[in-house]
Amino acid sequence: MKGISHFISGVAAASFCPWAVQAAQEGNPLYFILGGAFGLLPDTLDFKFYRFFYRHEMYVDPDPENPDPQAIADALADAVRRAGEEGRRVRIKLNTIRLGADFWRQYVVKFDPDAGEVLVRFGPVVNTGQVPVPGTGGDERVGRAKLAFPVVQTYDATTSVDIFDGPTFAFTRDESGRVVIHFLPWHREWSHSFVIGALFALAGWALWSWKAAVVIMAGYSIHVLEDQLGFMGSNLFFPFSRRRFPGIHLMRSGDALPNFTTVWTSCLLIFWNLYRQGPPSIYNFSFLQLLVYGAVLPLGLFAAAIYFVRRLSGGGEESEEIDLSDEWGDPKMS
Amino acid sequence: MSLVLTVVVSVLIGTLISTVLSCLPGLHVYNVIGLLVLLVLTLGSHGVTLPPEVYLPFIAGMIVGWSMLNTIPSVFLGAPDESAIFTVLPGQKYLMFGRGFEGAMITGVGGLAGVFFLVLVVGPLAPHYLPVVQQVMRPHMHWVLWVIITYILMSEWPKGGNWGPAGWSKFFDAWRSLLAGLATFLLAGLLGFILLYRSPVSTDMAFQNIMPAFVGLFAVPWCLVNMISGVSVPEQHVAASLDIDGDVILRSVGAGGLGGGFAAFFPVITGGVGGLLAGHATAQRDERVFLMSQGVSKLVYYTGAFMLAFVPGLGITRGGGAWLIRTLYTPRTYYDYFMILGAVAIGGAAAYLMMEPLTRGIIWLIRRFNYRYVSAAALVIIMALVYAITGWVGIFIAAVGTGIGLIPVLFASRRLNCLGILLLPIACNMSGVGHHVAAFLHLV
Repeated sequence: MKGISHFISGVAAASFCPWAVQAAQEGNPLYFILGGAFGLLPDTLDFKFYRFFYRHEMYVDPDPENPDPQAIADALADAVRRAGEEGRRVRIKLNTIRLGADFWRQYVVKFDPDAGEVLVRFGPVVNTGQVPVPGTGGDERVGRAKLAFPVVQTYDATTSVDIFDGPTFAFTRDESGRVVIHFLPWHREWSHSFVIGALFALAGWALWSWKAAVVIMAGYSIHVLEDQLGFMGSNLFFPFSRRRFPGIHLMRSGDALPNFTTVWTSCLLIFWNLYRQGPPSIYNFSFLQLLVYGAVLPLGLFAAAIYFVRRLSGGGEESEEIDLSDEWGDPKMS
Repeated sequence: MSLVLTVVVSVLIGTLISTVLSCLPGLHVYNVIGLLVLLVLTLGSHGVTLPPEVYLPFIAGMIVGWSMLNTIPSVFLGAPDESAIFTVLPGQKYLMFGRGFEGAMITGVGGLAGVFFLVLVVGPLAPHYLPVVQQVMRPHMHWVLWVIITYILMSEWPKGGNWGPAGWSKFFDAWRSLLAGLATFLLAGLLGFILLYRSPVSTDMAFQNIMPAFVGLFAVPWCLVNMISGVSVPEQHVAASLDIDGDVILRSVGAGGLGGGFAAFFPVITGGVGGLLAGHATAQRDERVFLMSQGVSKLVYYTGAFMLAFVPGLGITRGGGAWLIRTLYTPRTYYDYFMILGAVAIGGAAAYLMMEPLTRGIIWLIRRFNYRYVSAAALVIIMALVYAITGWVGIFIAAVGTGIGLIPVLFASRRLNCLGILLLPIACNMSGVGHHVAAFLHLV
């Protein structure tokens, strides 16, 4: 899920704690800050700290002057072969291709488990907003390499590589001899664990109080749980387990609708908690009324308007390849 | 002259004046409204009283016009050079692709959509819903501000550390931009404390207290970079169509309306912060939607904040325009509210009609003159305005602000961190610790 969804979910979790609302009314914002900050912390640990120390066996560094899709496909196939033959984890990093201060050559990698091959194709030059530069169409050539072992997808089949940092894949052989593809193996590893959340909570207890510990644990846990709605999953019980538990495949991290729904729902829950735990108000309403006036009516009308406009124009939202910013959650350029 | 005609003429004149103001980079509409309020007060002290039907629509026209038309200098006069383009808005990228006209007009359409949103959606609903929201949220504004500060500081993407072997060098390369962002926020916050507690600007010019700092933080750095780097702007193409449809407009209104509305309702949150939050919350990746939603957000933020002062039963004051108006008049009834809604509608329509000729005019300007000279002229105008309004002290504050404002430009971090100048001192004050911080800094 996107960073803001995790963050606001953490704030919403804090709002369920009566002491958080009480303290806020007395001018102390600590618990709400803790809820939001620890709601975002698991991704912060991965993207701002851990990934810079994560070691790779192989680096793919495409030549900007002579981009060769076949070389990339071959390198990926070689990594799969090594993982299958040697029975160990092989980690490969696909570097981005920077062409200028604001220009990057995009390329797309696709694993096709049915055909047992990996395909690579160069796309257009894009700017840092990931928008194609006019007149720089994609390359027609497709790099294609046969995979020596059957592969198992745990994430989306297609990955786009363009701006800033490129993605990492890790390949491991499973018991049946297939090679499992792990997208961003450094992500949702140790950081997305309830146990780590509990350690942070203990630190919060030592630093502040048990009340802070509860808020920290709630914010951290809700992040981990929300991520389980997606595809990648998380290592929920590190250090007691060493693998990511698969997600339940309900949504993708970058999908607009579930993210917006989470943000909106969190805002409503915060509002409701502040209302019910606050001083008596001259306005009275029930939770059902809040839902109807705060969610069903505005969102329903907006969704209906979008639906009719799209029907009139005959368009729809296009699906996109995943990239690193889907997992970080927020536009990298902002 | 009939009352209706007075209102219409006032709003049109206000909008027309905003046309000129919006093309002067660095000049904020609130600076001019501040001077206007001083003028009305001075006239009042000499026995000349202006009716609210003259100055309220006039000011509404200025705010609506400025918030829509100010896009033009931000797209055309804030062009980035190669080293700094990471941090600029897509509007300026449109400029570098020769599509500045399109970028400005898409944002302008966003502004017009924002007017529709305010008049047709917010207008009828605000008196029923907003008092309830305000009643519940009143004791909680301070922590909302702290939570937003936390999010702004935590959510920036590290720009470096993309290549090379794992290790500390990669980590430090990545954290260069993040540390620069944090430093920018803290230094701007420190400047904010100084200006709040020990402002060197004369109390006679209290309405303009923050203006030189904002000019230094936001406007001067780009002018300097443009002049030093000698960036050349490509030939601008005037497109026949904007490649937008109802879907793009609706999504933009959704994102921008939320962001701008949020910023308008909560104190100190600016349109930029609202736009950032809305962009993240609604997960917009289409650059047209992003651009248009910024137009919606900006208009809804400035005009919406002004409108809130007129919502019957709400009783809140948000934004510099509304605070300035409060010194002249206290709106109370639906009469005032409907008058302002009408003024917003008329001013919005007039401002949108001015978008195209103004954009064409500025394209002519940058085609005719070297871009470096245009940037230099913009800088001279900005500094002249600062000097005229606040004197040498203002120039000094602007220089300090420029030093801070150059950090994100040079280190490719978020320029939004400069808003620490408002966010930090006011969040501290709202939580009741501002005075202690000021005492620690020996400001009181």
